[in-house]
Amino acid sequence: MRIDKLYLHNFRNYSHLHIDFSDNINIFVGDNAQGKTNILEAIYLGSMGRSHRTSEDGDLIKWDEENSLVELLFTRQGVANKLGFRLTKDRPKEVVFNNFPIKPREVMGSLNTVLFSPEDLWLVKGVPALRRRFIDVEISQAIPAYYKQLLQYQRVVSQRNNLLKKIRERKAAADLLDSWDDQLAKLAAYLVAKRLEAIKKLGMLANLMHRRLTASRENFSLAYHLAGNEEGVVPELLQWYNKQLALARGEDILRGSTSVGPHRDDIILKVNGKELRNFGSQGQQRTGVLALKLAELEYLKSETGEYPVLLLDDVMSELDGQRREQLLSFIRERIQTFITATDATLFPAVRIGRYYRISAGAIVE
Amino acid sequence: MQHIAPLARLVEQFRRLPGIGPKSAARLAYHVLAMDREQSRELAEAIVDAKEKIGYCSVCFNLTDCNPCRICQSEERDTGVICVVEEPQDVAAMERTREFKGLYHVLHGSLSPLDGIGPDELRLKELLSRLREGGVNEVIMATNPDVEGEATAMYIARLLKPLGIKVTRIGHGLPVGGDLEYADEVTLSKALENRREM
Repeated sequence: MRIDKLYLHNFRNYSHLHIDFSDNINIFVGDNAQGKTNILEAIYLGSMGRSHRTSEDGDLIKWDEENSLVELLFTRQGVANKLGFRLTKDRPKEVVFNNFPIKPREVMGSLNTVLFSPEDLWLVKGVPALRRRFIDVEISQAIPAYYKQLLQYQRVVSQRNNLLKKIRERKAAADLLDSWDDQLAKLAAYLVAKRLEAIKKLGMLANLMHRRLTASRENFSLAYHLAGNEEGVVPELLQWYNKQLALARGEDILRGSTSVGPHRDDIILKVNGKELRNFGSQGQQRTGVLALKLAELEYLKSETGEYPVLLLDDVMSELDGQRREQLLSFIRERIQTFITATDATLFPAVRIGRYYRISAGAIVE
Repeated sequence: MQHIAPLARLVEQFRRLPGIGPKSAARLAYHVLAMDREQSRELAEAIVDAKEKIGYCSVCFNLTDCNPCRICQSEERDTGVICVVEEPQDVAAMERTREFKGLYHVLHGSLSPLDGIGPDELRLKELLSRLREGGVNEVIMATNPDVEGEATAMYIARLLKPLGIKVTRIGHGLPVGGDLEYADEVTLSKALENRREM
């Protein structure tokens, strides 16, 4: 995967920007609030169909402008592709892929990226939603059908939750739940089966990375926690969900929300068999996250046949010298990488890749 | 921009139509003003006329200009089969196939708690009383293949079970004339799931 060119028009603080990228490492250096991350955001938009910083597409349009254009030229499996976004104030965005209009949710899976930002350091200690999002993004890029099923699942959950509240207020009959439970169980079983598969692969890859990062002193593993299952053994999923939903129904009605399903599950990160969240030192936790991020790159390579593009947003200053070195030596000359940093001195003296100095929405050198 | 009052009123009326934003509404309004008097009168009359003459069929709740509708009245239709759809547009789509010879029942929506649509908001009681009258041996659920359409189909299927009528669901599958390799993965896996022996 390689991004060749990026064109921005009225995007965030850029009026016009045209960049030809290096195949290797692209480093955007500049002070805060000059527009470094906006470039990564545009690439992320091209990958996921949405920004990683806002859910409001309107925020992406340059202040005082009516519409904005983002164009990405990228090479995938040796084939050149063109992806364009037209953002218009108060209107849904339009997406054009190789001159054909597509739906925003169909963007996922064409341009694969791995984003590593300071928020990822929360993967270990943060709320389960972060880890679910992490795994969902991974699988969705490898298997676009997963993303579509995930959207359907989320729709079923919100319909069901709404219905639960109505039942609680005696505005609807409880037997209406049956038809939603049925769909919920099927979709949940599909999603969790895919997640388990991905966790297994990702865990293996992350362990390889982790051993390399710690000179084989530590073993890293991932475990999937199926909400409501304390057995430690993964049950036959469809049957299990049908049963759990029936068991939880009374409680769910009281709470007005759905207590079982992949939207409640979690992923547990362990080092040497111990939960990283509770027992890991800050350094161990950072190594764990780094191993996981590197494993993501390998996972996407094994699923799609080539490395995704790596986006490192302000994360270099969060890693110490040794981990920075390890990261750069991993990506060097294999993975096209986009890095933002305030300080060029964080990088080894040898010129690696291409530097762009960003100031007030323009490239100055 | 400030429109003169009658123009502003026309723009506002167009804006209320689905898929029409302020710009399109203004464009349509200016277009109407550019028409000759006779043409604009015809447009206005067509709207009033359609609205006055077309209502819902008291049997199947499809749009009709006579009651019961032409399909429900027809001698050539198979009264033993009822196809349940969400909207009148779906009847038109099914009719274009010229394959289906049974009768219809239009629900006018699908179950969607988020939009406040429950069984009472749909033409369900009417469907049940039609079925209780007897003579129907198959109900085909042709609601949309989205989560709301599926929920509606499943709900009705459960409801009809005690009546002992055969309930079927239209298949999900590949578009005819399309290439397998261009089918989206969800459609393809559904098609695989619903494969048949030959």
